[in-house]
Amino acid sequence: MTERTALELESVRRCFGSVVAVDDVSLSVAPGEFVTLLGPSGSGKTSTLRLIGGFEELDAGAIRIKGERIDHLPPYRRDTATIFQSGALFPHKTVAENVAYGLRMRKVERPERDERIRQALEIVRLQGYEDRYPSQLSGGQKQRVALARSLAVRPAILLFDEPLSALDLSLRLQLRGEIKRLHDELKFSAIYVTHDQGEAMAMSSRVAVMNKGRIEQIDRPEKIFHGPANEFVFTFIGESCCLPVRRGASEVTDRNGQAVALILQNSLPEGDSRLYIRPSRLKLAAEAQGLPNRLTATIHFIEFLGDMHRYHLKAGALEVFADHAGPIGHDVGALIDVGWRSEDMKVFR
Amino acid sequence: MTAQRRKQRTALLLLLPALVIVLIFFGLPTIFMARMSFNLHPDQRLFVPGFTFEHYGALLSNPVFTGAIWTTVKLAVMASIATVVIGYAFALIVWLKPPRWRLLLIGVALCPLLISEIAIIFGWWMFFPKNGLLSYALLSLGLVNDKISLMYTEFAAFVGLIYVTLPYCFFILLSIFDGIDRRLIEASGDLGAPPLTTFREVLLPLTWTGLLVAFSQSFIWTMGTYATPSALGPDTLWTVGYLIQEQMLGKHNWPLAAALSMVLVLGVAAVMVLTRSLMPKRASYHV
Repeated sequence: MTERTALELESVRRCFGSVVAVDDVSLSVAPGEFVTLLGPSGSGKTSTLRLIGGFEELDAGAIRIKGERIDHLPPYRRDTATIFQSGALFPHKTVAENVAYGLRMRKVERPERDERIRQALEIVRLQGYEDRYPSQLSGGQKQRVALARSLAVRPAILLFDEPLSALDLSLRLQLRGEIKRLHDELKFSAIYVTHDQGEAMAMSSRVAVMNKGRIEQIDRPEKIFHGPANEFVFTFIGESCCLPVRRGASEVTDRNGQAVALILQNSLPEGDSRLYIRPSRLKLAAEAQGLPNRLTATIHFIEFLGDMHRYHLKAGALEVFADHAGPIGHDVGALIDVGWRSEDMKVFR
Repeated sequence: MTAQRRKQRTALLLLLPALVIVLIFFGLPTIFMARMSFNLHPDQRLFVPGFTFEHYGALLSNPVFTGAIWTTVKLAVMASIATVVIGYAFALIVWLKPPRWRLLLIGVALCPLLISEIAIIFGWWMFFPKNGLLSYALLSLGLVNDKISLMYTEFAAFVGLIYVTLPYCFFILLSIFDGIDRRLIEASGDLGAPPLTTFREVLLPLTWTGLLVAFSQSFIWTMGTYATPSALGPDTLWTVGYLIQEQMLGKHNWPLAAALSMVLVLGVAAVMVLTRSLMPKRASYHV
């Protein structure tokens, strides 16, 4: 069984003083799998990565690489390679010397070493940059050198520590595509830490959504998006409208107790609950006719988002926003219907 | 092109006030002193304008003077090496420690700068003698059998010099360390380098310039300083600084004192040239 995992975390735990940064995290990465740790800042994703790399010490649990325990080893004895957010290129070494570093440390001798440096730079499309210093490279090029440096040592697992978050948007999208392409080509095993769900969705074999040091859900990106396991995952992934409502003895009200014109196909449990719907799944005005769940609300304001118009609506204390391609022919202040299908709604208590 | 030139001119203008001050208060006196070193010194007068190489001749031939120059250089080199080693280790620790330690350690490093050199010397007088702190500490730790005095030894002068220059050396090195991305250390380990290799391959090359600057700084300081070695060292510890004082105030031989001072100036210049030549061509690495 262990033969078939590149990396395995077993009930890993890490505390900083009284704060539990990583809490009972278990995870296994199959060879060639690209697993993303996704979560807000402070969710423990970077700490988890640093535990694997050996930059933090474990308080409990076990880490195995190819079935062997490594959590007692210092970083330089672990078969991992990290791509840091800053790139962390050695500024006093040229591109080629940077890529050579790990190979020299692993005692790879001359002809092979040169060949692997050449290959690594070719993979990241930086041939001809061998003799440049990091200060002579752009941000994107630096990250590509960092990637080449890590790829060259052919580690059991690559660790990405938010490598794109310091770059601007267009470069981020471009490099994201490039990392994806490299993974498809080379089939390396990787753990990728990010707070950007777009990156997570686009690149990963599986996504682990983390919150408060725990993994909330781990699954394929589509499963995470369409079948979120709990309220945190639902709200963290994609956009969503939240309707906090209260069901009394007979009618449904907002949290202030004011009655709202909300019709639901399935009746709610008594008490407080929160309904979530994706703004792209909400239908407006005439399109809402005949849908089983409807809310009558006033148009509060309208945002123009290019492809979409985003309608912000209010009904009592409830606020929703819905995206619609093109205007719907109603102006601010108009009372319209919003409708959705039951399968597009999630109810959490 | 023109933008480049304008930039250069702005830089020059910004430099100008400092440059003027340095020239007036440092350049001119040095020139006067150089001129003084060639003046005549007949009988008991302070000096008589003239031109002679007599004083430089005396410096080279009189064993008292050559001995003093040798002692000064030796003491300065030893103290500077020790200072740089200690300062480097201390700066490295401060750099690696989490921020909450930083302020405390920097405060400790600042302490010697808050006290005058004379007060520090009085402190050493409490520390080194037979009934001093050091003697008691060693005795109660059982490291020595009888009370010992290290007062008025070359060792005391050596320690005193280190103490005076250490803060400067430390702050120079800390500023260099602060310019280094700490992730580089992790990256090096991550790629398979054990700590010592990381030190040799990454940390040392990146701090080399700072090391040289810190060394020349403490060399200049220890070579010129006068009070600490003469107050803590033995009566026979004749440094150039001590001799200048003696020639100037005791023997009233200003030209000879000026010639000795020129030796210090030349020594410092030589060290500056030497350290400059040891610096890498690419003096700074902007990440």
